[in-house]
Amino acid sequence: MTLLDSKQGNTHDPRRKMEQNVNRGEAIIKVEGVSQAFGAEGDPRRVVALESATLDIARGELLSLIGPSGCGKSTLLNIIGGLTTPTTGRVTIDGHVVKGPSPQKVAYVFQENTLFPWRTVIDNVKLGMAFQGVAKGERQDRARQSLEAVGLVDFANHYPAQLSGGMKQRVQLARALGLQTEVLLMDEPFAALDEQTRMVLGEDLSVLLARTGKTIIFVTHSLVEAVFLADRVAVLTARPGKIKKIIHVDEPHPRKSEFMTSAKLGNLRNELYELLHDEIRKTMTHQPAEAGA
Amino acid sequence: MRPKLGFGQRLIQLGVLILILVAWYIGTMPGHINPLLLPPPAPVFKDFWQLLTNSNIWPDLWVTVHEWIVAVAIAAVAGCSLGYVISRSAYAVRVFDPLLAGIYSIPAILLFPLYLLFFGLGAGSKIAIGTTIAFFPVVLNTIAGLANVDKAYIRAAQSMGANDLQLFWSVMLPAAFPVVLTGLRLGCIIAFLAILGGETISSLAGLGHRIVSLAENMESAQMFANIVFAVLMAFIINGVVSFAEARGRRGFQ
Amino acid sequence: MTATTMGSVSHARRGPIMSPGWARLVAIFILLALWEIGARFYADPLFLCPPSQAVGALSHILSDPKIRNAIEVTIFEVAFAFSMSVSVGLAIGLAVGLHGFTKQSILPVILMLYATPQATILPLFVLIFGIGPAAKIAFGVSHGIFPVIVTTVAGVQNLRPQLLRAAHSMGANRWQVFTSIIFPHMIPSFFTGMRLGMTAVLLGVLLAELYVSTAGIGFYTRLFAESFSPPDLFALISVLAAIAVTLNELCRMAERHFSRWNIG
Repeated sequence: MTLLDSKQGNTHDPRRKMEQNVNRGEAIIKVEGVSQAFGAEGDPRRVVALESATLDIARGELLSLIGPSGCGKSTLLNIIGGLTTPTTGRVTIDGHVVKGPSPQKVAYVFQENTLFPWRTVIDNVKLGMAFQGVAKGERQDRARQSLEAVGLVDFANHYPAQLSGGMKQRVQLARALGLQTEVLLMDEPFAALDEQTRMVLGEDLSVLLARTGKTIIFVTHSLVEAVFLADRVAVLTARPGKIKKIIHVDEPHPRKSEFMTSAKLGNLRNELYELLHDEIRKTMTHQPAEAGA
Repeated sequence: MRPKLGFGQRLIQLGVLILILVAWYIGTMPGHINPLLLPPPAPVFKDFWQLLTNSNIWPDLWVTVHEWIVAVAIAAVAGCSLGYVISRSAYAVRVFDPLLAGIYSIPAILLFPLYLLFFGLGAGSKIAIGTTIAFFPVVLNTIAGLANVDKAYIRAAQSMGANDLQLFWSVMLPAAFPVVLTGLRLGCIIAFLAILGGETISSLAGLGHRIVSLAENMESAQMFANIVFAVLMAFIINGVVSFAEARGRRGFQ
Repeated sequence: MTATTMGSVSHARRGPIMSPGWARLVAIFILLALWEIGARFYADPLFLCPPSQAVGALSHILSDPKIRNAIEVTIFEVAFAFSMSVSVGLAIGLAVGLHGFTKQSILPVILMLYATPQATILPLFVLIFGIGPAAKIAFGVSHGIFPVIVTTVAGVQNLRPQLLRAAHSMGANRWQVFTSIIFPHMIPSFFTGMRLGMTAVLLGVLLAELYVSTAGIGFYTRLFAESFSPPDLFALISVLAAIAVTLNELCRMAERHFSRWNIG
């Protein structure tokens, strides 16, 4: 069952395509000189996860963050989402400085499973809305729509334990979509899935995301996924993470499966590989294995 | 650390039970074991049947059960409340959790004479010892449950805008519920054992009291019948409480 | 905010005022102070006494040779019951755990006995063994033997049969196999069983002692309770509690020390 086995079918939104090509969009998110360090100055155990990251993200853009383990990409995502306060620098969304979670503007899809096991799928989606402050009467319909968008409306009354890993991630996505925020942050959302599932879900995700017009930042380890889905790919160095280069992927949305096998994607992927190769080597020689920072 | 038992092993237990009955019958035939220490099976079964049908055990059973219910109720409320309060601060957990665990390691039965002094020989002292001993697994498990909620759930809820109240009711309570339920089950079971112990040491009524009086009057057959009854009660309570815990846990994991 | 507040600490957090160890002492001190004040001014001296009086009663409790004797007898009963529980429990545990057949047939019976509420058969023990130390020791063993058996069985559970076969093939006799393979393997669980056994033995012996109120510490607890002398009762109970805690703690330290052997 693909992400989009829904009655709505694929829609090409011409307005969105135009936006793609004509209006790069004004920056909705500004990351200004953000650094993140753990431990005090002078402490030999001090870890600088992120150093002076500066980045503008346009409205409606799909940006991917990629880099070796521990390079701070998840940290950067957490800072943008307000889950972590940066040591220096700041992030603004729509002109407002980010000081904590902004549930009205930003929805987060986590890498690990954060579905509450004691509630059904649809109750999980509705609970997210309850936290955000959606009126009770609206929740049921919105929840069903979100589940339809990810193709899981038939599982609305199942419990998370009864779903596969891929399905659980789709429910998390539905929960995030149900919040109807302008920004969507995704932290390695497909990390737990096998490559084949990822590819198919990636295609569906591209269609879905193109339709929603949200501003999306996602962290991934997969080079192909980054190129396939994103408008721009920001490559981070090994720790301390700096933004090494930003690569543009000039391809209209929604991305088709032909793009996956095209030379253009292959070249971009190779470019990414060359950028990352040395950084990965640096990570392997210097740092012990750990979860992505 | 008790292993789970399968069907074949249950069969063996049954087989051994039958073996014991046979040995009991043979051993108490005239000339063997002193009937005051071990009466023959027939009078014991007869007395047991009498217990169930037309005896005055029911008021005593009610006394014991009532003491147990009150003790568990107080321990549950006190344990969950204190556990909640302590779990709100990581520092408080570091201070009080080992302290409570340490106090728990003192044999609680030692407090019973103090309770006898303070509450007298009636139900009060048994309720007190039951409450005291049941309090600890409840409070320790409540602390453990609430303080160890998977941080991922909390992060997710906060990212979606949950306030403190929502976080507690919709995330922490349900997440902690299975662990708290286990604490309550443990508390229920050891409270019952403590109350039986208290009744044995000194009481005016209740299942334990009956056994003691019958022993003092050398009414061996009746004493055995009452022992069997009390053991049966303990197993029933164990079963009911375990079942309730299993039901309560379903849907939360 | 609860203890589980998320978010990484990116700025220095002011540490707690004092270390948890000290905080615990302060908490205990506060409780004792409240008890002292409450008992002194509000409580009926027949039922409750302040801790200072209890401490005062300690000296005349401990100087009374008959009470001292009762305490010593209790300690002796605990020690004896403990050694018997451990040795017999170990033997039974090994016999049951090492052979699949015995494990299937006898272990369920043992577990059944383990689950029975032993307070109900305490009067029976006294009927059989009388009111002397024998009944208390027997009741103590009856409590302590089960955790030892169960943990021993669990401890040998994971022993790989290849190890035993290898040793046998090299010509090791029963005793050598035991000392060089089986014993080291189950040491960690054995010490856990000892700790649990000590707790159980204490419970059994104390329960029996309190029940037999015609001699031993049961006599004195009944005496002090019936004559409404809370200081004496508190003092006696504190002494017993201190002994119990010390014994438990010794077993726990032994367990911690030997569980570092974890051969796994």
